[in-house]
Amino acid sequence: MRKKTVLAAALVVAAGLTLSACSGGDDSGKGPVAEISAQANRPGTVLDQPYAKPNLVLTDTHGKKYDLRERTKGKPTLIYFGYTHCPDVCPLTMSNIAVARKQLPKADQDKLQVVFVTTDPERDTPAELAKWLPSAGDPSFTGLTGDFATIQAGARQMGIGIDPPKKEKDGSVVSMHGAQVIAFSPKTDRGYVLYGEDTTVDDYAKDLPKLVRGENP
Amino acid sequence: MNRRATSASALAPVLASVIALTAGAALAGCSTSSGNGPELKVSGAFMPQPVGDDMAAGFLTVRNSGGGADKLTSVTSDISDDITIHETNNQKMQEVNAFDVPADGELDLERGGSHIMFMKLKQKPKQGEKVAVELRFEKSGPIKVELPVKEPTYNPMKHEH
Repeated sequence: MRKKTVLAAALVVAAGLTLSACSGGDDSGKGPVAEISAQANRPGTVLDQPYAKPNLVLTDTHGKKYDLRERTKGKPTLIYFGYTHCPDVCPLTMSNIAVARKQLPKADQDKLQVVFVTTDPERDTPAELAKWLPSAGDPSFTGLTGDFATIQAGARQMGIGIDPPKKEKDGSVVSMHGAQVIAFSPKTDRGYVLYGEDTTVDDYAKDLPKLVRGENP
Repeated sequence: MNRRATSASALAPVLASVIALTAGAALAGCSTSSGNGPELKVSGAFMPQPVGDDMAAGFLTVRNSGGGADKLTSVTSDISDDITIHETNNQKMQEVNAFDVPADGELDLERGGSHIMFMKLKQKPKQGEKVAVELRFEKSGPIKVELPVKEPTYNPMKHEH
């Protein structure tokens, strides 16, 4: 629903640009433009109806069982779904969070849980995640793998759709990453803020102190 | 507005092309130019320092100030023998045969969207180094470009707002 609104507004903006390029100053697009820019400084979307934390039990980078609800209970937690054979968005997302996290006071850094769940469990074994995640993000981050159906169901509980990796004729594998990072509150254990993939280091750095306390950014 | 629009990431590729089309139409309608062939210029090239030693992505903008369209068809480099061009749709990367470089328009390879994909790296590029590549086009001659290797979080598009 929200996406549709954004699309419509963007079209209006594009149309506005076109008009002004040709006619030199038709201001008919003004209303929607103002509405968009009013929101432009808020990277995160605070949800009216937060998500329950998915009851995911997977395997961590040490090959040990990891119960997401149990391990992150009462802790500020960021969850992202991605894969290590991802050249751009997945490492960018992990790096952005890692760099922003380092700007928190040490005590807050220790509280913040960052959980990366693979969408490509066949290739992303615990060992593979253990190699990738510390350099893509930070050694403190948790990497989880397991059965694809379990991972997919967990993602779906938070409104994130993930298709299974698909093997192409040439042998290459097309995997898929989630579109959002979801922040879970230490107070409610609910996912209450969504961050899109264009969220910057500065955006995260600004919001993390509030997320650590379970406040709205 | 740009960053808001792209945050609906699933729609970003659609949006980008819609906006590009609209802009293209406007230019075509208003401009009084120009030559018949494509005239290409590359800018803003970079490679974020890759995480592993097997894979990297490259980004750049190809501006076509000429009156004829062109296509980016392939990329070569000493750093890898396995280089492909990809677009991102619905959080999935898909290899493409060519990218359009429209007349009086540009091809934007940028983070979160289309990119050059380097596989089976012969060495891992480090921040501060430069990676030389050659871009090949359907009509124009090849263009040599150096991609400075930047920090993993580098995203110039986001510094503009």
